Amino acid sequence: MAKGYNDPAMEEKFQDRYFHATTESNPEFIKEVERLGRTPAHMCFQCGTCTGSCPSAPRSSYRIRKFMRRAVLGLEREALTDPDLWLCTTCYSCSDRCPRDIAPTDVIMAMRNLAFKEDIVPRNFLKTIQLIYNTGHGVPNNDVNRAARVKLGLEAEPETTHKYPEFIPGIQKILDHYHMKENADRILSEGEQ
Amino acid sequence: MAEEKKQPRIGVFVCHCGTNIAGTIDVESVKDYAATLPNVIVADDYQYMCSTPGQAKIIDAIKDHDLTGIVVAACTPRLHEPTFRTATKEGGLNPFRFEMANIRDQNSWVHMHDPEGATAKAKDAIRIAAAKASLLEDLYPKSVPVEHAAMVVGAGVGGIQAALDLANAGIKTYLVEKNPTVGGRMSQLDKTFPTLDCSQCILTPKMVDVGRHPNIELHTYTEVESVDGYIGNFDITLRKKARGVMSQDEATAKGIVGGGCNGCGDCAAACPVIKPNPFEFGMAPRKAIYIFHPQVVPLVYTIDFDACVKCGLCVEACGEKKAIDLEMTDTFETVKVGTVILSTGYDMFEIEKKREWGYKQFDNVITSLEFERLICASGPTGGHLIRPSDGETPMKVAFVLCAGSRDNTGVGKPYCSRFCCMYSLKHAHQIMEKIPGCQPYIFYMDIRSFGKMYEEFYYRIQNEGAKFIRGRVANVLEDAKTKNLHVYAEDTLLGRPVDLEVDMVVLAAAVQPTENIDPVRKMFGVSCSQDGWMLEAHPKLNPCGTTTAGVFLAGVCQGPKDIPDTVAQAEGAASAASIPIHTGKVELEPYFAQCLEEKCAGCGMCISQCPYSALDLIEKDGKQVMHVTEAKCKGCGTCGGFCPGGAIYMQHFTTPQIVAQIDAFLLGGEQ
Repeated sequence: MAKGYNDPAMEEKFQDRYFHATTESNPEFIKEVERLGRTPAHMCFQCGTCTGSCPSAPRSSYRIRKFMRRAVLGLEREALTDPDLWLCTTCYSCSDRCPRDIAPTDVIMAMRNLAFKEDIVPRNFLKTIQLIYNTGHGVPNNDVNRAARVKLGLEAEPETTHKYPEFIPGIQKILDHYHMKENADRILSEGEQ
Repeated sequence: MAEEKKQPRIGVFVCHCGTNIAGTIDVESVKDYAATLPNVIVADDYQYMCSTPGQAKIIDAIKDHDLTGIVVAACTPRLHEPTFRTATKEGGLNPFRFEMANIRDQNSWVHMHDPEGATAKAKDAIRIAAAKASLLEDLYPKSVPVEHAAMVVGAGVGGIQAALDLANAGIKTYLVEKNPTVGGRMSQLDKTFPTLDCSQCILTPKMVDVGRHPNIELHTYTEVESVDGYIGNFDITLRKKARGVMSQDEATAKGIVGGGCNGCGDCAAACPVIKPNPFEFGMAPRKAIYIFHPQVVPLVYTIDFDACVKCGLCVEACGEKKAIDLEMTDTFETVKVGTVILSTGYDMFEIEKKREWGYKQFDNVITSLEFERLICASGPTGGHLIRPSDGETPMKVAFVLCAGSRDNTGVGKPYCSRFCCMYSLKHAHQIMEKIPGCQPYIFYMDIRSFGKMYEEFYYRIQNEGAKFIRGRVANVLEDAKTKNLHVYAEDTLLGRPVDLEVDMVVLAAAVQPTENIDPVRKMFGVSCSQDGWMLEAHPKLNPCGTTTAGVFLAGVCQGPKDIPDTVAQAEGAASAASIPIHTGKVELEPYFAQCLEEKCAGCGMCISQCPYSALDLIEKDGKQVMHVTEAKCKGCGTCGGFCPGGAIYMQHFTTPQIVAQIDAFLLGGEQ
């Protein structure tokens, strides 16, 4: 590679990487995140305890501190389109240890809700919705499990919708109220086109 | 009060305070409105009423219009009431004929965005003030004599400095310390930042000075038992805890010629009881008869009677000096002082409450004060820093800053403990200096090196090779085999999580007020802030004083401070405490309650209401009546509001004056 000019890879690197506070940030974003998350996200002082406590962080690119920063600065696009948003396991370690008594987990949950409103959801999450709708379980029972349960002297099916499928319509009613299944089906089918 | 009543003639003066008031409030219309109020003879306004021409307006108006009361609508009584009182007095009126309407702090500032509402509210405030001014009476301050002595409670570096200053100013000073020796926290430190002076070396000359200053009466191993009286006349009872050992002076007083403790230590050598030394945080042993360290002042041994088995071996070892008395009991002594300085210091926050850092779970996690003792040449290891688990020399040490400070979770402390950044820098320097190749890692959120030469010290430590990682430590875990520690955090500048394996972790734990200090604080009538630190009268304008007249604060008991700040405040407190003593008398604002004895039923219900213990019942003309100790009364009005018989008369806040204010507000000026 010569000087890198006319090279698309280098062109990409030479792009303006300033943060333009007036054009990039949406001041309503932090308000919306705090309304949904019910936690004072704007009080974050960026100590990094959340990332330091996070079991996902050492194994992924997920940095919860950065999502807190994006919330404070109103970087709505950057937050909602970052696939890392979906890497949180919601273990709440960060919320337990945050010295500012903020619940970063709830900030992530709020952002996920906002992303879902814009159809930005990974496919596996949508498939989980379909599974819950159809079986009442995010991870339904399977034959391997059934065999293992019987071997341990348990009934093949646990005391859930697997054993009492008559409760599935109730679960479906809740999901229908929020149009969860409907939206999941739509987004998945659009992705297939 | 016996003067003839004449028709009230009030002058009202409205201040612009630059744009502070005039920027929001229409001063012109407020002034015009004031002129229409009942009894108001003259109304005027001026750019700055507190300036010399502004005050001249008041003085001239009193003379020109034969006024009986003055109202100034301006900032706050806290700021300029004394100024305008003086002007009122210079105009020939009693200074208590002055009333202030706060139209800045309580009006233009808080209603900045509502000029119309603010203007209407200013009119209300002036109407109310004028109504009260019409009923004001002449009052005369009383003065009480001041005892030519002072007391300093707590003999750390702050208390020592305050006591020395008072004593050098010629004031008899009682220095009271609950521990067997003076010196406080500073004597536990190895070096001081940023000069790296040896802490004991610079402190011991002062400790020795307080020990032999002719004007200082040193009471170690002594606590304040009770406090009576008021500014100028405090009667303070001290509990001299049973020490079990007599000083040479005490022995001489008892007629034991040439006897008393000379600090030889023969007793400790003989003593069979071994206990952990609290001065070394339990890392070194001491006997049941002990001194904390070789430089103690006074050099007198102390018996820990909780541990002593009374075997008598020490008495035998002491021999002819006859210093030891195993049957000694606590004694009490009451002293009279004019003013008091509290310098009761601090304790470390129980950092084990933050379980994620593993203090008291893992051997090699220690606190900074323990580090000070381990690195100190006179400490339990002779200055060799070792890992508590195996005695090895650590080669990698992590320092955890803000451990329990700046923590809003309810477990820690919300404030910054102020000196941890600096001492952790010092610790980093010390390990690099003493252990070649030892690497310090400092986990920080912000380095707050705010003092003189402090930032330069930070630069120096960074240059020496300390590694700074910007991120708060999330978790410390132990490798069970090696007893090494894994420190987990995010390097927030790198944006990556950090797992750092170190030999030792030092927690810069938060500081908090001394344990069990509240009873002492309450005895002196000093309030505390939300965090438990003693509350100063005003954080900027009166940082050494308290709301109790004659009681002053020095050092960390008022809030976290490093040594220079503590000493500076101690000198300030000593100066403030010496003023009433040198003046010889204190003038009391005449706002005290008065008992109308013919109405008083002697029920005594007001006595328990009084927050300043100013009231008691006395026998007068064959009946019990309430009596006010005027020097103690703050004029808060709690008793006056509570009295079921209406027998309490609050000077300057009388019932007619307050009713007139309420009427003026509700009736809009119509009487």
